[in-house]
Amino acid sequence: MIQATIFYFLAAMILIPALLVVGLKNVFHSALWLVMSLFGVAGIYAMLAADFLFAVQIIVYAGGIMVILLFVVLLSGRPSDWAQRQVNEKAWAAGLFSLFFVAVLGTTLSNWSLIPKLEEPKLSTGQLGTLLLTDMVVPFEVVGIVLVAALIGAIYFSNRKSS
Amino acid sequence: MIGLKHYLFLGGILFSIGLFGVLSRRNIVGILMSIEILFNAVGINFVAFNRFTHPGIPWGHGFTLFVIGLAAAEAVVGLALVLAIYRNSRTVLVEKLNLLQG
Repeated sequence: MIQATIFYFLAAMILIPALLVVGLKNVFHSALWLVMSLFGVAGIYAMLAADFLFAVQIIVYAGGIMVILLFVVLLSGRPSDWAQRQVNEKAWAAGLFSLFFVAVLGTTLSNWSLIPKLEEPKLSTGQLGTLLLTDMVVPFEVVGIVLVAALIGAIYFSNRKSS
Repeated sequence: MIGLKHYLFLGGILFSIGLFGVLSRRNIVGILMSIEILFNAVGINFVAFNRFTHPGIPWGHGFTLFVIGLAAAEAVVGLALVLAIYRNSRTVLVEKLNLLQG
């Protein structure tokens, strides 16, 4: 019962801000609502016994990525831009397609069943660390290379002389 | 009792909200924010399947970690590109960016 209450509270905390993110005119307000939605997703990770992902979600998403997003929102454009129309002419088609997508997913999911293996959740940080350095070591190193490449690319693109 | 289906429904609805944002926003920064919503929906699904089908072997957690890391890389490069575009053409609206149209 208390689990259901927390789940529906977190679902509302994710979905309502997400709707505001895609619907609001003011991009700055959208970015601030996105922080709320990301915190809700962090709560879902905590409910699913993913303790390390809970911390990573808050530190990397709600901390790091959102700060960069707010910087760019404030650096690209004047506050007068935030009052103009934010959806294109084909937004109705996009809305129809999204509703169709939800309907297909909903009917598929309601006709589908799986017997879950319910065990008592354990703290997964230690296991995740072992996994990252044994079976997943190649993607782990590749992510390191990708992050370095992204760093160099960001410096290159934001360098005034090169662009 | 909250089961796997609840989490999958949540992930699906969140994914289609993000999809609507990607398809309908005019602002590049808004599109990037919608893409972050898509990544989060996928992450919820990964972790939910991990919790309910293979508890104790956190492969789904690892994949979600990689998704978060790549989202950080994508955000850094994408937003640097947005700044470069804004410096050159003074707009962040996608339909005004028709440099390749000839």
